[in-house]
Amino acid sequence: MSWITLDKINKLKEKFDYVEVVENDKGFHSVEVPKENFKSFLRFLKEDPDYQFKMFIDWTIIDHGAKADPRFQGVLILFSPEYRERIIVKTWATDETLPTLTDMWAGAKWAEREAWDMFGIKFEGHENLVRMFMWETYPHHPLRKDFPIKGYEEVELPSLNEKERADQLEGLQNYSRMHTALPTLEDLEITQKKRMPNKKSQVVLNWGPLHPGTHGTIWFLFDMEGEYVQECDIIIGQLHRGVEKLAENLNVQQIIPYTDRMDYIASINENHSVCVAAEKLLGIHEKIPEKAKYIRTMMAELSRINSHLLWLGTYALDLGALTMFLYTFREREKIMDIFEGITGARFTINYFRVGGVYADLPYGALDAIEHFLKDFPTRLKDYETLLTRNRIWLRRNIDVGIITEQDVYSYGLTGAVARASGVPYDLRMIDKYDAYGEVDFDVPVGEKGDSYDRYLVRIEEIKQSVRIVQQCIEKLRKMSKNDPFFYEPEDKKMKITIDGRGTKLFKGEVYAGADNPRGELGVYIYMPKDGIKPYRFRLRSGAFYNLQIFPKLMIGRPIADAITILSTIDPVVGETDR
Amino acid sequence: MGIKKVGLNRNVQPQTITEKIFFLDFMKGLKTTIKHLFRKVITVDFPFELVEPAPRFRGIHGLRNVDGTEKDDFEAWVKKLKIKPPEMGETRCIGCKFCQAACPVPEIFIIKTEKLDVPEDHPHHGLKVLSQFDMDLSKCMFCGLCTLACPTICIIHTDIYDLSSYTRRGWVLNKETLSKIADDFIARRGKEKYDDKSEWPDWQKIWDDADMARAKAWDNNPPKLGPNYADQQ
Repeated sequence: MSWITLDKINKLKEKFDYVEVVENDKGFHSVEVPKENFKSFLRFLKEDPDYQFKMFIDWTIIDHGAKADPRFQGVLILFSPEYRERIIVKTWATDETLPTLTDMWAGAKWAEREAWDMFGIKFEGHENLVRMFMWETYPHHPLRKDFPIKGYEEVELPSLNEKERADQLEGLQNYSRMHTALPTLEDLEITQKKRMPNKKSQVVLNWGPLHPGTHGTIWFLFDMEGEYVQECDIIIGQLHRGVEKLAENLNVQQIIPYTDRMDYIASINENHSVCVAAEKLLGIHEKIPEKAKYIRTMMAELSRINSHLLWLGTYALDLGALTMFLYTFREREKIMDIFEGITGARFTINYFRVGGVYADLPYGALDAIEHFLKDFPTRLKDYETLLTRNRIWLRRNIDVGIITEQDVYSYGLTGAVARASGVPYDLRMIDKYDAYGEVDFDVPVGEKGDSYDRYLVRIEEIKQSVRIVQQCIEKLRKMSKNDPFFYEPEDKKMKITIDGRGTKLFKGEVYAGADNPRGELGVYIYMPKDGIKPYRFRLRSGAFYNLQIFPKLMIGRPIADAITILSTIDPVVGETDR
Repeated sequence: MGIKKVGLNRNVQPQTITEKIFFLDFMKGLKTTIKHLFRKVITVDFPFELVEPAPRFRGIHGLRNVDGTEKDDFEAWVKKLKIKPPEMGETRCIGCKFCQAACPVPEIFIIKTEKLDVPEDHPHHGLKVLSQFDMDLSKCMFCGLCTLACPTICIIHTDIYDLSSYTRRGWVLNKETLSKIADDFIARRGKEKYDDKSEWPDWQKIWDDADMARAKAWDNNPPKLGPNYADQQ
């Protein structure tokens, strides 16, 4: 397990007498530091050759309830690429303020804006502390514990359709005529101005929120000098549904269908993250039945192929190669058919459970997958002949949007974006969750970190996924139909059910996740005591942090590169906004 | 397990001069495209041609009726919840509300039972029947948790996927409609999905391999379905 050892933490305690160690029986030890010493301690962690926690993972807040004093606690998760371990550093936000970390990790910029938006924590020294998801004039901080789950219903929003037919609706047909606050055009104008306070040139080009090239509802602001971008900012949040808030009121199996709606293109992988994290919190991650492990690994990799095919199709479509889109969707159709047959849904899958999967493979499932894999490599070769050495493709991709290794650490980039820059950061290798420790695969790593490398890395990832799926099928073939696919706890205190009723989480905290096609989706669960509902359920979205580097890459580039860079970063708005 | 380096000059060679002069990269691409001209159509002509959803497909819900294929513990559940023992053709629902408890959005359901109004010497005195079972499918995520929670396999997913309506009224289904949907589904495809104890059997297929529309999407070369595991028939 890639977590800092107790010895190393105790050495920290010897060195700094203000460090408090929070021990955890599952091995996820964390340290607590007072706010005054927070930054100097982090600087030590980042620079000391024995620790080298230079990669930013996540920076968030826990609300301990209105009665607690101090109420808010900052939680910082860091990764050391040198020693391949993580650490959680916590600090109390007295007076609802915290020092900014943007001068140490650029990735903290959006994390702090999100914390301000959701919890109302002020970060001293942040360059432009504006809201992340909500509009600027929104008065509440929704993730605070005293904010009701339904929100404050303030605006009257009757349905015209229903009124015409019948106003006297009864039972379930009835609906609330009041709605939570909605932004007006004026609000949006204020938001837009605050996001880009120092406009440099005459024209600000708005791209989105509804534009086919943005792959969702992202709103880009480009401050243009001729064709070149001087300043760039992104307004996201149009798809914000508050999954973290919803999760605080559900049991862990019920959260899984909500994660389907985050990264809706690779929903299996999103499910996987929640399962991996909850299993680690319960301490059962090594006891999951072999069959479930292999089925999960196989499905996750099929989903990765599915997601990368959609990425390849739309990416090529955006750069003007329509044929690619049709070809990749043909292959996607087959994978979706397989998903439909095995799990019951094509898109929002909800197949994985904490403790295994909800049903065994149906008759013929492995044959269908094998049949798909038989001619898939030739199809992939077709795609490569069309694109890889095509001169237009080379011109539009090479040296566009170069991400350096330093950027990866400082922005907390993960997934194919990090790997294309030469950082072999892959949770499948580092954490070896499920059956990834037992299958053989390579992690593709790029050289320069430009768009072309990101393209090559993803293509290679598809090939490696095929390899993994083949090995899983081989292994599954040897198993018996009576092998269990769901973990039955022996421990009386533990209760895990397939339908989720009564599934309990244990006291403690955990940060774990899975390597998704769009980067690491980490799940941080904090439980002050045993219970059904998670007290804090943080989803560290890979796409969110990956998108953050977009403005930096765009500055000084022509506007046409926006498409290439956005496509190769490959965010999904469902996941960035959550 | 290892690290594979990719990149221009690493696993991809840059264009040679001959390629550049004679546009060989375009030629190769065109060859692939032209090859596809002679392939058969793979798209389905919806709505004249329909792909049959897989047996596990999670479509609109249905409420199953008693038809002699209940699980062994059905009687025990009926007794436990003091429900009037259902006869053939009556609903299997015992009003336990497990589906509502498992649902991430419990507001979907309104489930009510009422006591039978019968004299004291009647054998059904003191027993209850299901009086209301409304589902608002406009709030449903079709996650399938309710069907897994149901102890009597009463609430099921059918293969119906078109749920469009002009008003909210169309999405709220009551127990009569739900029963009818389930009866229709069981008559059509019950044998494919359930065994004689209403469980998912291990011969339940990934999809119906005689479905010609689905075969089309598989390049008119659909897979031959066989057993998954070594000891499966």
